[in-house]
Amino acid sequence: MIMVGCSKADLTVRQSTLDPKGPVAQTQFDVFMATVWLVVVLFVLVGGLLVFAVIKFRSRPGDENKPAIVEEGHGNPLIEIGLITASIGALVIIAIPTLSAIWYTDEVPAEAIPTSKLSAWYPRVEGTRENYAKAVEEQVLEVDAIGKQWWFRFEYPQLGLTNDAKHSVPNEFVIPKGKAVRINLRSEDVIHSFWVPKLAGKVDLMPGRKNHLWLQADQTGHYYGQCAEFCGDSHAYMLFRVTVVEPAEFAKWVQAQKADAAPVPAANIKAEKGKALFAAKSCVMCHNVGGHFGAGAFAPDLTHVASRKTLAGAWLDNRNKDAQRALELKTGNTEASVEVDPATLKANLIKWIGSSGVAKDAAGKPTKDVKPGNRMHYYKMFNVAGLNETNQKFTDEELDCLAEYLLTLK
Amino acid sequence: MSHDSHHAPVACKTELAPERSDLGLIRPDRATGWTDWLTTVDHKKIGILYGAFAMFFFLVGGVEALAIRTQLARPDNDFITARMYNQLFTMHGTTMIFLGVMPLSAAFFNFLIPLQIGARDVAFPRLNAFSLWTFVFGAFVLNASWFFEFAHLAGWFNSFEWHKALVYTDFAPANGWFSYAPLSGTFGQNGQALRFTGVGTDFWIIGIQILGVASLAASFNFICTIINMRAKGMSMMRLPVFTWMTLVTAVLIILAFPAITVALIELMFDRAFGANFFNPSSGGQPVLWQHLFWIFGHPEVYILVLPAMGIVSEVLPTFTGKSLFGYPIIVFSGAVIGFLGFAVWSHHMFTTGLGPVPTAAFSLLTMAIAVPTGVKIFNWLGTIWGGRIRFTPPMVLALGFIWMFMCGGFSGVMHSSAPADSQQQDSYFVIAHFHYVLLGGVLLGLMAGLYFWFPKIFGRMPNATIAYVASGMVILGFNLAFGPMHYLGLAGMPRRTHTYHAGNGWETWNYVATIGAFILGIGVFIAFANLVWTAFRGKKCGNDPWDGRTLEWSLPSPVPEYNFAQSPVIAARDAFFEHKHGAKRIGVENDGGEAGVHMPSQSWMPLLASFGFLLVGFGMPMMAMGIPHAGWIVIAGIGVLFLGIWLWALEGPGGYMLKTPVNQGSPAPAETAAR
Amino acid sequence: MSDTAAAHEAPTSTGIDHKKLIMWLFLASDCMFFGTLISTHLLYRKLYPAGFTDAEGHQRFIQNLFNIELTSFSTFILLMSSFLMALAVSAMHKGQLKSFRRNVLGVIFFGLIFLGCQVFEFTHFYHQGLTIQNSVLGSTFYVLTGTHGTHVAIGVLWLILLYFYSFTGKLGGHMGALDVEVAGLYWHFVDIVWIIIFTAVYLVEYLGPNGIWGSGLPAVAK
Repeated sequence: MIMVGCSKADLTVRQSTLDPKGPVAQTQFDVFMATVWLVVVLFVLVGGLLVFAVIKFRSRPGDENKPAIVEEGHGNPLIEIGLITASIGALVIIAIPTLSAIWYTDEVPAEAIPTSKLSAWYPRVEGTRENYAKAVEEQVLEVDAIGKQWWFRFEYPQLGLTNDAKHSVPNEFVIPKGKAVRINLRSEDVIHSFWVPKLAGKVDLMPGRKNHLWLQADQTGHYYGQCAEFCGDSHAYMLFRVTVVEPAEFAKWVQAQKADAAPVPAANIKAEKGKALFAAKSCVMCHNVGGHFGAGAFAPDLTHVASRKTLAGAWLDNRNKDAQRALELKTGNTEASVEVDPATLKANLIKWIGSSGVAKDAAGKPTKDVKPGNRMHYYKMFNVAGLNETNQKFTDEELDCLAEYLLTLK
Repeated sequence: MSHDSHHAPVACKTELAPERSDLGLIRPDRATGWTDWLTTVDHKKIGILYGAFAMFFFLVGGVEALAIRTQLARPDNDFITARMYNQLFTMHGTTMIFLGVMPLSAAFFNFLIPLQIGARDVAFPRLNAFSLWTFVFGAFVLNASWFFEFAHLAGWFNSFEWHKALVYTDFAPANGWFSYAPLSGTFGQNGQALRFTGVGTDFWIIGIQILGVASLAASFNFICTIINMRAKGMSMMRLPVFTWMTLVTAVLIILAFPAITVALIELMFDRAFGANFFNPSSGGQPVLWQHLFWIFGHPEVYILVLPAMGIVSEVLPTFTGKSLFGYPIIVFSGAVIGFLGFAVWSHHMFTTGLGPVPTAAFSLLTMAIAVPTGVKIFNWLGTIWGGRIRFTPPMVLALGFIWMFMCGGFSGVMHSSAPADSQQQDSYFVIAHFHYVLLGGVLLGLMAGLYFWFPKIFGRMPNATIAYVASGMVILGFNLAFGPMHYLGLAGMPRRTHTYHAGNGWETWNYVATIGAFILGIGVFIAFANLVWTAFRGKKCGNDPWDGRTLEWSLPSPVPEYNFAQSPVIAARDAFFEHKHGAKRIGVENDGGEAGVHMPSQSWMPLLASFGFLLVGFGMPMMAMGIPHAGWIVIAGIGVLFLGIWLWALEGPGGYMLKTPVNQGSPAPAETAAR
Repeated sequence: MSDTAAAHEAPTSTGIDHKKLIMWLFLASDCMFFGTLISTHLLYRKLYPAGFTDAEGHQRFIQNLFNIELTSFSTFILLMSSFLMALAVSAMHKGQLKSFRRNVLGVIFFGLIFLGCQVFEFTHFYHQGLTIQNSVLGSTFYVLTGTHGTHVAIGVLWLILLYFYSFTGKLGGHMGALDVEVAGLYWHFVDIVWIIIFTAVYLVEYLGPNGIWGSGLPAVAK
């Protein structure tokens, strides 16, 4: 009823559930539409009857002179039983697709496995670091999604992209087009929820519980996801992205993720200074930069930070806003995406680090955090030895240098 | 035991001689003014107090809602901070459910149940006063968290040592109204009890616990009253439907509240003593909290809805001039809804990874609950069918209730289907759904009840034109605010997010929703203001302005403190309507008159005992803040509670005899025969 | 001690006294209360059959802590107190105040013995390394049995109040018997709940070598 009057563009917005791009979301959408049609029919019937009755049986002049209707109403058993039966019948119509969809969306279906198992599409390079174990060849690709306040960490245990191996992927992950992918959902603190509306309905990440879902994307592109279970102060800032690429490109992406960061060019003095600051200001304690610093395992991996389209739990977008808007309008497709814009990225880095490290600005007023409560600001909570100083202060020049350093981490 | 036998009946309680209780203290029976209201055991006065507090907290919750909507009107807005937003939606939900709808329903229970069943009071009048004051103090505790929060923001605490030692400085709860653990609980091993949130959560835990005591005590009382204090001839199947729905609601409360009580105790032990019930780092299962919460939480939804259904089932027959279609099946379906309400809790948890079998089972059970709900709507339709509808403010609001509730029910059917729900859960679609049920449904139902019974309560008739304008604004504003949220949810906007980016396509409808929310807010304010003005200055009206059907309309307006001058004897279901227009008259028992009727004594003790809860409620969060010696406040509170109960037990029931004018109790048919 | 509006008036619609009815309603509610607590314990017990780890880091199995003879004794004592409570109620109905006092004193005494056993048990378990903090088992065990103990303590307090009240001369007749009967209902209920707790928490640990939850641990000597 409400959807009437919305243009097609309104139904295909970035996180629309009405624009499924894979079999799981499609199944859920189909069940939803079954309920919609049932409800529309009932709405017209019951609502129409109600309006009709209210108009038809309104009191008319002269009614007050008629004798009162005193007989006790007992209802009409035939009508009652008939209506109850009809309601049950109507519910059966939606119960059947519901049941089949519950089992279909629970686990990767057998018919999807032959084309989706790793051996069917992922190149295995014997004798190199990039190979994967023979044992997993018959499995579909698994991605571990780990929720933390307030960002997602993604790992590919079968392919060696894990936090333990210093190769985890924060906030944006990549999956191959047309292949079923199993997502293992874990949480390291409170309850979060994994939701990419165009690919699959949500499932919660519960601490102490092993949840999962599966999804498959049938079109390449850039998909928008968001945490859907309230998880504290900055819940609204806990976003993530899924990039869907051709299978061949996916293999390349995995190789790239395993590569260390290139050395900072000697000519880039600012970046060199930034790198020193990165160590001096304790950033290294939590953040990993492959090839540069290897101590951090707690915070997002920054080895390839400059190649990512988002920052700070995907809240800050590193793309040029206007260019992206123009592209979406041109293609009529929100999955189309422009590349990272270095100027935007740098501005975001400065904004993000600047606000998080400094609790009070020069005037002594509390700064507006990009993400209130985030751990860069409040790491005191974790009682990490030596990290109890909450007021890390950066000068503008220091921020600039840090940003320049991070910009080199492609 | 019966002190009243020593005294001659009086015509008015101010004529009473001062009487001492068994403890030697003077009973406040002759009190007037403030003392009278504080010590009253009269169910009608208690009902009015419940109503006044509920309307006040409705407005508080409404202001919170408007702040939320203002923040969401524009993308990337910074009208309020993230934390303040989270506190606002938590307190908005908690306030509306526990301090708005439930006490407003309780106001109707209190005022109406004894009148509808032909009784002079509830079974335990002092316990009733205790329920009221415990609710009031629980509400104070919950809202006191705001004062601490604002004092903290204003920097008043900065110089205190305990404040400097706090790691978490949120003083108002910010976990949402279902406070999922472990966000509301703890982490860390071996009793470390590290937390994600500050003392706001402690305020919430103790506040809800106190409100639970109030609800439980009231429910025991009302079940007892309805089962045991019916007038002669008032068999169960002659009970007015509102009374029936009250009975079902009270049964739901006594069976559902223990689950939340236990859950809150466990959470409290986690936070205060380092227990591991919901602590995931020590093996606790956060999902247990969700089960316990929703075993309470789903019946709670019906606790909110059933009284409104009862009200509508009274309003419709009155204004169609026709008895309720299918009375037995409406009563039966109400009971079935209550029963099934305990079997569908996991549909709030479809996304927690229950596995396909439980998901399927709860999906089907949830669909099943649509059947008795549908039956109610069909029977309301049947009541309208063939009637002569008189349009009055309560009737318009009741019809609005049916329409909105139907819409809310339909979106409910949509997410009874688990796969569809996995896209809707925790999105604005759900917000739209339950506001259609709880605001479009319950609030309109309760407003219909207010406008319907207001002439009975105060003997004055609210202005109909203002009532129509307010109802129109409420219905228009409501649909404008919550209709678009269906779209927003389907467009992927998650609930409980304090802001959103431009570019997601949510801007326009959020803006519209905010405009709608303000229209709705103004409408509710006008509707309430109309009532408050009427209570003091409104036009006087007769005893039976609507051609009522149930016993309460046979009484004078406002109702005298003894209710029935002589106890009625009932001969039909719509007893008073039959009395006026049919063959079956209401008879009277041979009581009252010069011999008087027995009235319960007023007492300070319920208020005193409840006051103990207030101290406990303040003391425990203050202990959690680390304020020195706060533990003594808790101990003092427990002491006051026990002292109050002790004195209450020992003061004796008392009571006095009040003369009643015998020819006034039961109306002569001629008086009301003209319509 | 009565709060009924119509205590002396016409009989109630059902013929059941208000006080008795409200006590039954309270007990229905309390059933759900204990049901929830017992479910919590059983769910976790099934989930973590391995017991708990004590302060020295030893894996301990709860069966090794239990002193089933002592708990059986205290259970028996509580059952006997119920018997005395029934005698006290019956004496009150017959108006035999002296017999009532004697029996109620017995109930109070037995109730105190039960509470004493529980205090001893808690202290003993605590020294054996089971705390509310070091395991889920400790949390559920102490909170469940502690809540029951609180119910017993409130019952004892109530009976002491009734005992002294009986000397004021106001505890007599139909209403007095009713007051005692209602307290008796409460006391019996608390007993029945203990039987369930005794079965669900203690006895099931003795079905089979490692209890029905089937611990994978070897039984550690006491």
